[in-house]
Amino acid sequence: MTLWEFLSDRSGRIALQLIVAGLTALFLLATGTQPGILIILLIALLLVFLIVNMLDFFRQRTRLLELETILKGLDRKYLFAECIPPPKGLYEQRLFDLTRRAGRAMTGAVSDAQARQREYREYVERWVHEIKAPITAARLICRELDGDPRRKLMAELAQIEANIERTLFYARAENPEQDCLFRQTDLGKIAAQAIENHRSLLIQSGVRVKTENLNGVVYTDEKWAVFILGQLLQNAARYRRTEPIIILFSKSLGKQIQLVVQDNGIGIPAHELSRVYDRGFTGSNGRIRGGSTGMGLYLCRKLAAFLDLGLQITSEEGKGTVVTLTFPAKENLTKL
Amino acid sequence: MQKIMIIEDDLDIREELALILKNEGYASVIVTNFDCIPEQAVQEHPDLILLDIGLPGRDGFSLCAALQKAVSAPVIFVTSRDAGIDEVRALSLGGDDYITKPYSVPVLLARIKAVLRRTGSSPESVDVLEARGLRLSLTKGMVSANGKTAELTRNELQILSCLMVHAGQIVSRADLIDTLWDNQIYIDDNTLSVNMTRLRGKLSDIGLPDTIKTRRKMGYQL
Repeated sequence: MTLWEFLSDRSGRIALQLIVAGLTALFLLATGTQPGILIILLIALLLVFLIVNMLDFFRQRTRLLELETILKGLDRKYLFAECIPPPKGLYEQRLFDLTRRAGRAMTGAVSDAQARQREYREYVERWVHEIKAPITAARLICRELDGDPRRKLMAELAQIEANIERTLFYARAENPEQDCLFRQTDLGKIAAQAIENHRSLLIQSGVRVKTENLNGVVYTDEKWAVFILGQLLQNAARYRRTEPIIILFSKSLGKQIQLVVQDNGIGIPAHELSRVYDRGFTGSNGRIRGGSTGMGLYLCRKLAAFLDLGLQITSEEGKGTVVTLTFPAKENLTKL
Repeated sequence: MQKIMIIEDDLDIREELALILKNEGYASVIVTNFDCIPEQAVQEHPDLILLDIGLPGRDGFSLCAALQKAVSAPVIFVTSRDAGIDEVRALSLGGDDYITKPYSVPVLLARIKAVLRRTGSSPESVDVLEARGLRLSLTKGMVSANGKTAELTRNELQILSCLMVHAGQIVSRADLIDTLWDNQIYIDDNTLSVNMTRLRGKLSDIGLPDTIKTRRKMGYQL
């Protein structure tokens, strides 16, 4: 609060004080008080007004600064009213009470919402685990079928699984720390698992997958890394051109290891490249092809951020897309 | 015959699993009463146990510890819980492997085989295949016939072994591709054709041209 703000806020009262002083002076002058005494009286009166107002100004400013500091230091800002010292005046105390009551109602609403969200997440997770049993049974039953119907059913089941996985990871991405487990993992194992998870889609799309030099060791959560890589493989298979090839290879970058997923698909237009991670963004490719959810890369980015995993996409329209995953060096992980 | 004990509460899954294991040449025991499983294990004396975690009554983790006390059979956890922490817990409790549902059947069978081999209760796996006058050494990657030998690449080896295992039957191109993907050779239809041509060339070099017949619209046959 600046002095000017204070003065303009107080302008009414200050004007009133000046008018009262002026009227008193006129009255005293009319009733025959000597001008000398009058001037001394006026100066004393104005001095008192000035001191009172200045004191008010400093008191208010200190109080505001104190509240400001408390708010800044608060992790959950909505608990503000619970954390400040109560004011002195009756009127302000009443205001403070009202604020505190409103704050408590809000705290209740927030914790209710959090509980509901947690319950929902738990339900989604339980549901995902339950739905996996019939899918497993369906897969086993599929083995009894021959040839084409089996392959088609397997592909449909794989599609269902891929969607369920996305749901599960969407729920998990809200509180990633609950499920994340960093371990030393073989890069080749991550790649093989991701390819296996999406083999139906890849085979059906006629994709050739080349893996080169995938023998690095990385420190990450295997399941999440497999999920992220799986999203990239699905994208590469979906947005393919003729004779699709996906090449997976690793590079070392100092102490870090990079996993590169390169395809020769339709690519992403340059002006859309910055938006591919946006939630629900499907882009022109997604609109033309249909069936895009705009969730894959959004989730990848969210999970990758938590794994401290670098995610970088370069693409040339009509030529293909290159996605580079940079795994963190072991030393950096202790900071997490 | 090796005996595998299936501890799983989903009726469809355990029945199908038993059938698949039977086709693979294992004997299987299905647990239907979940009350005194360790005692049943002692009685049946299985070579391997497939254990679900979410069971009625007692959960798989505590059951695993009890089973390990009762019998020496290796335990593979098969579960739909896929959080990393569950896996660590399962393996630290003495489980030999951990597979999440829904699994693919070839993967499950491969893991079972690997665990049995590791724990030493598996007979030596076959190294040499023979069919139609061909002799294929899987470890050396060599095929021989009429006293002549040819060296095969990894892809060709897998294609030929698949055809030899199913000698006389028609193997579709899609089945061949499936088998190759099982062995982490991720090829497409065109690459299969190229590999097939090369394989035929090598076979005719050792004096067996036209051993692999093309059956129109159906596949290949040895």
